[in-house]
Amino acid sequence: MNKQRIELLPGVFLTVLHTDKFKTNCLSLNLLRPLCREEASLNALLPDVLLRGCKMCPDMGAISRWLDERYGAGAQALARKMGEVQAIGFFLDYIDEDFVQSEEHLTEDICRILGSFLMEPVTENGVFRRDYVESERANLINAIMSQINDKRTYAMTRLRETMFEGENFGVSKYGKREDVESITPESLYAHYRRVLETSRIEIIFTGKTDVERLCGYLLAALKDLPRGELTPVSTTAGRIPDHVREAVDSMDLTQAQLTMGFRTGITGKSEDYPAMLLMNGIFGGGINSKLFMNVREKLSLCYYASSGMDRFKGIMLVSSGVDMDKLETAREEILRQLEACRRGEITEEELESTRSYLQSALKTNEDSPYNMDEFWLGQQVGGFTYTPSELSEKLGLVTLEQIQRMACNVTLDTIYILKGGAGNGEA
Amino acid sequence: MEKREFPGLRETVYTETLPNGLRIRVVPKQGFSKMYAFFATNFGSVDTSFVLDGKEYTSPDGVAHYLEHKMFDTREGNALQLLSRTGASPNAFTSYNVTAYYFSCTDFFEENLRTLLSFVSEGYFTHESVEKERGIIAQEIKMYEDNPGSRVDENLFRAMYLNHPVRVPIAGTVESIQAITPQVLYDCHRAFYDPSNMVLCVAGDVDPQRVIEIAREVLPKEPGGVSGRNYGPQEPDFVKQHEISEEMDVSMPMFAIGFKCPSIPEGQERLRHVLMGDLAAEVLCGESSALYQRLYEEGVIDSGFSVGYGAIKGLAVMSMSGDSDDPHRVLSAILEEAQRIVREGVDEGLLRRLVRSALGRRIRGLDSFDGLCYQLALSEFDGYDYFAFQQIYESVTAEDIRQLIAREVVSEQAVLSVIYPRKGEE
Repeated sequence: MNKQRIELLPGVFLTVLHTDKFKTNCLSLNLLRPLCREEASLNALLPDVLLRGCKMCPDMGAISRWLDERYGAGAQALARKMGEVQAIGFFLDYIDEDFVQSEEHLTEDICRILGSFLMEPVTENGVFRRDYVESERANLINAIMSQINDKRTYAMTRLRETMFEGENFGVSKYGKREDVESITPESLYAHYRRVLETSRIEIIFTGKTDVERLCGYLLAALKDLPRGELTPVSTTAGRIPDHVREAVDSMDLTQAQLTMGFRTGITGKSEDYPAMLLMNGIFGGGINSKLFMNVREKLSLCYYASSGMDRFKGIMLVSSGVDMDKLETAREEILRQLEACRRGEITEEELESTRSYLQSALKTNEDSPYNMDEFWLGQQVGGFTYTPSELSEKLGLVTLEQIQRMACNVTLDTIYILKGGAGNGEA
Repeated sequence: MEKREFPGLRETVYTETLPNGLRIRVVPKQGFSKMYAFFATNFGSVDTSFVLDGKEYTSPDGVAHYLEHKMFDTREGNALQLLSRTGASPNAFTSYNVTAYYFSCTDFFEENLRTLLSFVSEGYFTHESVEKERGIIAQEIKMYEDNPGSRVDENLFRAMYLNHPVRVPIAGTVESIQAITPQVLYDCHRAFYDPSNMVLCVAGDVDPQRVIEIAREVLPKEPGGVSGRNYGPQEPDFVKQHEISEEMDVSMPMFAIGFKCPSIPEGQERLRHVLMGDLAAEVLCGESSALYQRLYEEGVIDSGFSVGYGAIKGLAVMSMSGDSDDPHRVLSAILEEAQRIVREGVDEGLLRRLVRSALGRRIRGLDSFDGLCYQLALSEFDGYDYFAFQQIYESVTAEDIRQLIAREVVSEQAVLSVIYPRKGEE
């Protein structure tokens, strides 16, 4: 894989991840916005409305026909949350040109429609079409409300909300229902013009292309992009708590969700990040982890118990599904395993298998265009400079003492429990 | 070893069948770091009644899934841990028709392949370990019970079939798994984990000859195993009940609509039938259809709406699922649209575009090692050549699709499964 980064226009960056092993090419365009309550709902709704129709394809039918003609190309609206940054835009994937007739130029076509989605939305009376805004607003509200359907994800969302109450990171990538409800075609259009003018844009291409031609297509597609002073975006590690917060919700469930949020203070920018990754891996990252081996395998307390590290925010989140009457036992056991890490009770095998697992995962990251897009966008958003192979090399040097130090660094911030028993839940 | 080249797909497949009956498929993938091995048995949750050495067996519901969990136990310790020691990522799944064990890795491929083949081909079950697993699996079953997405599909099958064991959830129930003992697991293992009932698929930058040699060394030499399966009396065309629903903590009604196709052809024709079924579902109400756009614009469905066509052993179902405040309206709109298509025929332009789109997506799907190996294994069990999809798409006509819709998308064969929000909530 060969990586290039080019500033196409002021504040518009193209990252090309060139490889010829895939049958798929991916192109994502991401407008970076600060994550905050004022903007979150507008940001989340915007790409959905833009994807309803543009000058090239004025309605959903025309868009579908256009994509089908291009061998089932895909176009998705995106709203990703990376630290205190909301990355919104489009993700397009399409078949490599080797598989199509020589007179078809898919990369050029894809850049053209991307430009049209972004720059030439269908409007009426100088703002977005009312029916498009209203139907996407209803869909977004459904998306917000239906988070309750998947209990594991829902519990993790509630954990983050509780843990980051009053902080921007606690804002959902969809925003709040009441904020979505108050959006009008006028307010969304005004926001759209501001977003175009003031957002840093990260474009990521993964696959096979001639870079010079790609730049030409993108410049043509973005020729009318207004550029003004950019809204700064950044992420921070956040504060360490002085006491543990707890929240409990009840629903009619057969299984309880036990989640815990820890602050580590270590983000992808820190020198200690490789050691923190290993610590998380040993504690709860995989099937060799202490949580899997003890909470699930040894004590049969649950079907899953795992922890994950957020490199933007420097937090470690634990999620587990347990029997109602074993909540207390599971919670004690999870904390006991963390204590073991703090005391350095980590075997050579735990350390080495986790190390090779993480190194292997970094290598295979380059075997999927979707993972590559996500990883490299994250690097640009977080301001992280390491490549997968550099991180892998650093993982190779981490010692047990460093991991133990990281475990001591981890502070429990919030416990959120979703439990059963109640006839009705609260959404 | 036979080498088959598919220049139109930029793929080569090496195939071999060992004297013990094991079928091996290797797809070399240059430029990828990942190596992937997928070892599957033609044994799913529906295979609870079978004949082995002339004797009939009936095992408890959920046994295939229970066995999958317990296969990882070996005399030397847990195979998950053995594999992950080298940095590999192992996992397994059980579906209605297949149980599969797989790993991906970047190093020590041959060592990992040996581990995979040997732990899957030899059962080691003790009373203590089988007992211990019951708690974990009960938790897993409860997790599915709390998941409206699983419930809506399970209920659909429960309402659609009168006899077939696909009516029972894959993992069984907390009650049914109580009857599972080491002996039950040994019997099922002997019946279904025989090389003649299994397929090994490998993708990645590997030497196909080495894969074959390792399989030859590790696995038993003689074929044996299951000699008959029983899925109950023949399924009729009609469904058990047209509607099924329950209440859960969901924000709005979640639905699955299914159309029962009681039996589908065998061999190569099966692939053709499934690909046509997919196209028919897309023609009817896929994203590019007029009906989808109308329902979307009216706010009856949203972008979560999806359509598909699936086959399980001899059964097939066309399905549509999503969230809607008015699932009945979705069903009646689909039935009306089907009647219109049967009357007026399938739009040639739409079909041509959908074929092109489906072909492009299938070719791109070959990038996914998991997806590719799964398709190859399934095609072996069902007796067709997956890579023929390109030719099949070229031969499908508008009349083929019209006839499939006329035959399958009728109200007598329809089931509507809905999960409603609990009363008293919004």
